[in-house]
Amino acid sequence: MRILVVEDEPTLAQQLTDALTDAGYAVDRADNGLDAHYLGDTEPFDAVVLDLGLPQMDGLTVLGKWRSAGRAMPVLILTARDDWHQKVAGIDAGADDYLTKPFHMAELLARLRALIRRAGGHASALLNCGPLCLDTRNSQLTRDGQPVSLTSHEYRVLSYFMHHPGKVISRTELTEHLYAQDFDRDSNTIEVFVGRLRKKLPEGMIETVRGLGYRLIEPA
Amino acid sequence: MHRSLRLRLLAGSLVWILAAVAIAGFLLADLFSQHVRERVDAELNGHLDQLTALFDIAPDGTATLRMPLSDPRLSRPYAGLYWQVDGGPAGTIGLLRSRSLWDTALAVPGDALADGEVHVHDVPGPDASRLRMMERLIRPAEHPDTAYRLIVALDTRQIDEPVEEFSTLLSIALGVLALGLIAAAVVQVGVGLAPLKRMRAALGAVRDGHARRLEGDYPQEVQPLVDELNTLLAHDEAMVERARTQAGNLAHAVKTPLSILANAARQDSSDLARLVDEQVGDARRQVDYHLARARAAAAVQQAGLKTPLRPVLDGLIRVMSRLHAERNLHIAVADVADTLTCRGDTQDLQEMLGNLLDNACKWAATQVAISAAIHDGQLAVHIDDDGPGLSEAQRSAVLARGVRADEHTPGSGLGLAIAHDLARVYGGDLRLDTAPLGGLRATLQLPAA
Repeated sequence: MRILVVEDEPTLAQQLTDALTDAGYAVDRADNGLDAHYLGDTEPFDAVVLDLGLPQMDGLTVLGKWRSAGRAMPVLILTARDDWHQKVAGIDAGADDYLTKPFHMAELLARLRALIRRAGGHASALLNCGPLCLDTRNSQLTRDGQPVSLTSHEYRVLSYFMHHPGKVISRTELTEHLYAQDFDRDSNTIEVFVGRLRKKLPEGMIETVRGLGYRLIEPA
Repeated sequence: MHRSLRLRLLAGSLVWILAAVAIAGFLLADLFSQHVRERVDAELNGHLDQLTALFDIAPDGTATLRMPLSDPRLSRPYAGLYWQVDGGPAGTIGLLRSRSLWDTALAVPGDALADGEVHVHDVPGPDASRLRMMERLIRPAEHPDTAYRLIVALDTRQIDEPVEEFSTLLSIALGVLALGLIAAAVVQVGVGLAPLKRMRAALGAVRDGHARRLEGDYPQEVQPLVDELNTLLAHDEAMVERARTQAGNLAHAVKTPLSILANAARQDSSDLARLVDEQVGDARRQVDYHLARARAAAAVQQAGLKTPLRPVLDGLIRVMSRLHAERNLHIAVADVADTLTCRGDTQDLQEMLGNLLDNACKWAATQVAISAAIHDGQLAVHIDDDGPGLSEAQRSAVLARGVRADEHTPGSGLGLAIAHDLARVYGGDLRLDTAPLGGLRATLQLPAA
């Protein structure tokens, strides 16, 4: 899962990046409205954490531009402005959630998880597929009720599959959603992680669709 | 009287009108009676000339008239016009007389006249009348030693009657004129002061929240005042807006560092980190509370604002359904007519209702119900939830000190206290009861507009 963090205060931006990376997300950062708009408009993000008071272009304008261009990724506004007037303006501009500073990092993570989940049409924090059950709150995978240990890379790949069960996912899409922009992307590593995951999952659950990519299917 | 512009203007006009009418009446009456008197004297003079011309001494020495005088009144008894000739060799009174004198004679003051000289007298006459009398002394050429007094007289009633008649008519006419002028003055003062009255109404509308500016066109004498007032109102608005922006900027400036501190502290498990975490929470509550208070202090200084309830509620419900999306709450709005409005600023109403709704959503088990109505000029909004509610003691503590009812629920816990403070500033109130749904009922009362 790839998150865009838009925050002009460098220390806070770093804290957010660290916390999100620890939680298994790939994080891109922007510290002004113009960069934020460009990134959100050109890269596929699974969620955005957006500050409102930004240099060059304010957050609400950025959000409005994304929405009118049809960019539908979930956006969580993170701002110090806590008047309800601002919250109404933020939600009406197309935000999906609104968190005010100072905030608890745990709450931010919980809200982000929920946003990503709801964007994929999942009502619960537990993602199920056949014998697999992924708890997004604590990154735990169980297979037939037995815990399965995953490395953080494996978790990221599986999490993306579990959020989009049955959908054909190309290597490029996986790469784009699993790595930040400045990461040295190599689609061979994706193949390595998929290979390792296959060993931990029931046979045939990750299907290769020739020339297109992979698909997570429920075993018959 | 100096307190009322209208009375002052009216009294001024009244004095002026009455004085002008009285002087005009006096002058006109005097002019007319003078004119009548002159005409009468001219008439008497005419009769006297005619009498002089017709007077003759017969060869036998008796005085006679060659022919009767032409005016028919002279032959009707006591008709008011008379002539008489005195004198002759024996100095007889009433030597010759008009028929109108009947059996009386005119009593002429015994003054001495030069020959041909004309004298005018006012004397008592027959039938208890006053007479205007004109006389002339002549000596016929044939009898230079004999003097004759030729006299004509007119009853002064002939003078007084038209003068009186004229005076009555004049009084009526002038009275009507005065009344007309007074009525015109009243209308003029009313029309002249109408823009001021209109301005007062417009100011009242601003105060009552029906308008934000004095509207309409005013005469050029009043327009500068209206413009000044409008500038003042705009200035007020700008000041409030600036104060609000500054408060927002302060919040932004303080809260971001607080976030950083808090996040850093939570990475650590030392005593210092715990202290920082605790103090950051405290600082946040202080900032929130005092910001809300500053906002409230700025709130009501702004005149002339009214806010429809429905759009504010709808906007907040959209926010609630996002912020509390995980709770799957049913937020029901019952009976909130589009026409309900309250006095005051949109942002303040959002602040009050936002805090109440947020609190309700935080505690509700499955549903939140909103209803509103107007009673006695007060708009009452009920926000009910089906959560655990608050005990009597908790309710007063929550409103009085702004402490958290439960430290373990996210959020500052100040929402209810902030809403309460703002409502009070607006002359409204916030009451907490038990909702029909079982949880807390928060009733926000605000002056309706």
